[in-house]
Amino acid sequence: MSQLVWLHEDALNMDHPVLRRAGRDALVCFVWDDRYLQQMDYGFKRLVFIYETLCQMPLQIYRGDTVEVLSELAADQRTDSIHIPSTPNPVLQAIATRLQQRMNVETVEDAPFVRLNHDPDVKRFFRYWNKARKSALQHAGGRQE
Amino acid sequence: MLNRLKSAFVSRSELVEHVATVADWLEPASPGVFVGGQEAAEERLKQLDPQAYCRSRNFLDGKVTRLSPYIRHGILTLDQVRNTALDKVSKAAQIEKFIQELAWRDYWQRVYYRHPEYIWQDIENYKTGLAADDYADQLPEDIASGSTGVACIDQFIAELLDSGYLHNHARMYVAAYVVHWRRVKWQAGAKWFLHHLLDGDPASNNLSWQWVASTFSNKPYIFNLENVRKYAHPGINTHSAENKVLNASYDELNARLFPIERGAL
Repeated sequence: MSQLVWLHEDALNMDHPVLRRAGRDALVCFVWDDRYLQQMDYGFKRLVFIYETLCQMPLQIYRGDTVEVLSELAADQRTDSIHIPSTPNPVLQAIATRLQQRMNVETVEDAPFVRLNHDPDVKRFFRYWNKARKSALQHAGGRQE
Repeated sequence: MLNRLKSAFVSRSELVEHVATVADWLEPASPGVFVGGQEAAEERLKQLDPQAYCRSRNFLDGKVTRLSPYIRHGILTLDQVRNTALDKVSKAAQIEKFIQELAWRDYWQRVYYRHPEYIWQDIENYKTGLAADDYADQLPEDIASGSTGVACIDQFIAELLDSGYLHNHARMYVAAYVVHWRRVKWQAGAKWFLHHLLDGDPASNNLSWQWVASTFSNKPYIFNLENVRKYAHPGINTHSAENKVLNASYDELNARLFPIERGAL
């Protein structure tokens, strides 16, 4: 049994913390899901850019419905859980919710840009910036408080 | 049955041909001006000059970083880019403007997490004296094809379609032209940009369109020909005769583009 990682288009990075969480032996994959890509309405140039990026990564690319592909891979790996990088994209979140009906889903956040004690007011940028500025100007966002 | 796709190609053109077969719902085209992948991303990061960025970023030929497609797809993280930029200077304050621009992306992502509905819905009313219904739903064909007859706008659109990239200032000009000169809903413009931009992100793109439209800001963003001349390079056609609708003062444009608000009468 080894772990399964689904890298989606918002996190095409082998340094993402999701890979450390899943461990060295994890199977890392990307799913080329026609329906998803059509829903996002990406042009041809974007798809070339994404595919070219994938080709440089030590991962496997599968074509098909994301939930079906990942379920089959999980069965092959004899695992009942999957690790996914966190994303605000509601279409990807909906796919993760469908996966949850079949396996354990663990979402992992990327390294933060700023470290804040409280969620800032997002009504206007400068309300956020006033709170975030100090941390943003420091290496790795400063020390964890 | 698992269908594993190949990931090794002898040339870029072979890769592009392969993408055409796995994206068979799209008309194949030439690749964009950016090469995908970690290696190209790190090469560009090495060339990053955050101080030059701070001096010249508003100019259409300024030293912008062109890191955005890599940041958009997580190939580079904001943390990594900020740390690299800090390593190139002695004081963070020297590159505050650059870090603030990275913070805009962080901010848009936070809004997206908190309010996914903001991506396609008007967050607030337009502050233009007009109602949402006064704006067209569809992007006019002459805009989509870059044949509006406004010379600099057509050049920007041609660049977008051809390269998959556009300088941020040019994006703002085109967005303001679409929403305020042509009275087209920002959603139609945002959808069009997302299709063509290699770095198109639902949060950064759509919320910036809302900012231009004034549905996520306190007033509409507009510009005039004088402003384009200030920031353009010699390759941009800024002749008055070929950019007539932009050639006016801000007072004239405000009067022409926005009806007097009912409350102000």
